[in-house]
Amino acid sequence: MNARSRPWLRALLPVLAASALVLGAVAAGAAPDRLSSVHASRAASTVRQAAVAACNPKASSLRPSGPPLVTPGSFMARIRARGFLIAGVDQSTYHFGFYNPLDGQIEGFDIDMIRAVAQAIFGNPNKVEYKAISDAQRIPDVSSGAVDIVAHTMTITCARLQQIDFSSVYFDAAQRVLVLKNSTARSLAALAGQKVCATTGSDSLAVIAKNGAIPVAVPYWTDCLVLLQQGDVAAISTDDSILAGLAAQDPWTMLVGPRLTDEPYGLAISKQHPDFVTFVNAVLEQLRTDGQWAASYAHWIGHPVPAPPQAHYVD
Amino acid sequence: MTSSVGVSPGPVTRTPAVRRAWQLSRLDTATTPGRLWLLLVGLVALCLAWGVLAALTAEQHASAAADVVAVSEPLSLDAEQIYQSLSDADATAASAFLSGGLEPAADRQRYNADITQAAIRIEAAGALLGSSAARTQLPGQLNQHASTAGSATGDDLAILSAGLPVYTDEVGTARADNRLGLPLGAAYLRKASALLRGTLLPAASDIYTKENGLLTSASAQATGLPLIVIAVVIGLALGYLLYRSSRWLTRRSHRRVNYGLLVAAVAFAVSLVWLAGAFAIGRAELLHAQQHGSVPAEAYARADVAALQAHADESLTLIDNSGDDSYQQDFIAQQKLLGPGPGTLLAAVEASAGNGPAAADAQAWYRAHAVLRALDDSGNHAAAVHSALAGEAAARFARLSADLSNGINADQAVFASNARGGRDAFTGLAVGMIVASLIMVAGCAWGLTRRLAEYR
Repeated sequence: MNARSRPWLRALLPVLAASALVLGAVAAGAAPDRLSSVHASRAASTVRQAAVAACNPKASSLRPSGPPLVTPGSFMARIRARGFLIAGVDQSTYHFGFYNPLDGQIEGFDIDMIRAVAQAIFGNPNKVEYKAISDAQRIPDVSSGAVDIVAHTMTITCARLQQIDFSSVYFDAAQRVLVLKNSTARSLAALAGQKVCATTGSDSLAVIAKNGAIPVAVPYWTDCLVLLQQGDVAAISTDDSILAGLAAQDPWTMLVGPRLTDEPYGLAISKQHPDFVTFVNAVLEQLRTDGQWAASYAHWIGHPVPAPPQAHYVD
Repeated sequence: MTSSVGVSPGPVTRTPAVRRAWQLSRLDTATTPGRLWLLLVGLVALCLAWGVLAALTAEQHASAAADVVAVSEPLSLDAEQIYQSLSDADATAASAFLSGGLEPAADRQRYNADITQAAIRIEAAGALLGSSAARTQLPGQLNQHASTAGSATGDDLAILSAGLPVYTDEVGTARADNRLGLPLGAAYLRKASALLRGTLLPAASDIYTKENGLLTSASAQATGLPLIVIAVVIGLALGYLLYRSSRWLTRRSHRRVNYGLLVAAVAFAVSLVWLAGAFAIGRAELLHAQQHGSVPAEAYARADVAALQAHADESLTLIDNSGDDSYQQDFIAQQKLLGPGPGTLLAAVEASAGNGPAAADAQAWYRAHAVLRALDDSGNHAAAVHSALAGEAAARFARLSADLSNGINADQAVFASNARGGRDAFTGLAVGMIVASLIMVAGCAWGLTRRLAEYR
């Protein structure tokens, strides 16, 4: 039995959250350290609801309570019993999640995050079943349980937080502009009146339009690069992470302009599994401190390697 | 031109018998020589008219039949070949791409052969279109139809010749990027495939439809009844007239046989039987060519194209593999189109060509495809790719494809031999009609002047 199958309970949750907030304020001195795991999970869920009310995408996730441990009865224990983690990933975003035809593997920075989670559950990073999913499928697949986790250059937003949970921020992206090296444009504003490409349904389209350029929508980011190479668009504008992957496929392009937006990436997890959210956050904490995050960054995105994004939690 | 021997009725130019007959007839058309003279003139004129009518009829059917064989059919075959070659190139390029950077040599050769074939056929259709402007033998209406269809077809050919290099360029870029392991390659392949399906195939299909319409009207012209019926009716009237003339002469001259008229009658009978017989044989051959040749071949070709497109969809879904299922949706659409089942392309094949293994093989492929999709959807991409390239799905598709291309080849051979048979039935017919009518004229003239000579 869960909240999903009880609409009345879902409706009641914000009320519960509000009262929990009041209770929390009253009993500010009482430390909830010694609560059982079940109680901790309940408390976390109510605290999270409070976070949605006062949404901060960069501090929306649940604080881990130590190193990642597969506790009996947890969602991680069920994954371990199944034998593999099911991850929804992108397979066409170069250097984040892409199918490498040379070795037949899906690889990238996003995939490294998933491999670390599999390593923490199984002691083996390869125990993952990858499902290549589209942008539009990310939330439905997480919600329905078709996948355990999604690593798909996915920005944590308040709207999405209403439907699913996210891990702490594992990558800080920002919308920028990719142009050919012979272009004189150095910002999106300089491209006013010209065609600028982004994928259908992406938030980047609105930013392009807001800056006076003509948005051109195509299904995939690589389609944008085809249009840029063929001279059908003047630029591509979206998250710098994606643009870097495109630039890596065409050395005659370059990233220009200031950060137009803030795109904190998180791993998406169902609201049914707060225990898994804290587990994944614990894995991410390890990656930030033991140098794996920096190694992945250096391997896929390149130097200079910045400091990993600081984890901020809802509490 | 002052005076000429032919025009001048001077007595020097005429034989005594003719002169006498001329004088007699001028004197009195109510007398027997006068009537004989009239009969002679009438019969000669009618025999010549018959010759002209029969020769024209023969010429029209012969040229329409020749048109079916020589112009329309090669052109619609070209259009069909362009369509098939391009569809095959699409499917082969996708399959080769799926194999990775080191694409199999066989795939590469097949793709190159497809492109070469398409280019040759586009050029051939263009050349044929140029010569078809000189199709003056076609009757007015059909000729007009042919020339408007010709110019529209020319536009489509222009689209094809302009689009083909763009397509091969994009496939080449896709291949180069794929070799480097860049996801950009898949984007170029999708773009190439979209160009092929969105622009090139509709143009080829357009040519095929128009030229097939032209083939049908040329065939209808060759097998149409009106002209031949008129010719035969007039011929039978002439025959009756010859018979009555001969009876009249027999009564008047008390001679049982007029050999001149007999020769004319025999020549006439031969020409009439030849004309009707050639028409009957030619018509039967052309109709057979259509019903057992071009109709089933077209049904097979349409089924083949749907199968090829679905095969390309299978590969493109695996290449795309980004959760977007538009190619899989197209596969399902093509599968519905192909059948088997009522109203499908395979049902049309069975209706025109009889039951073959294609329906069962198509279903076997669909089952293999379903297994492949299940593998891919459960994360076993490598096994799905193996099935598509060298496993069950590949083998099943190869069988279906072989069924369909065998069907096309067999039925096209039936068409070609019957259509040629139909055309050959008209060989020499027009000349024969003219010769027969001249013999008839000579026979009439000889027979009647001999009677006239008796009245000198």
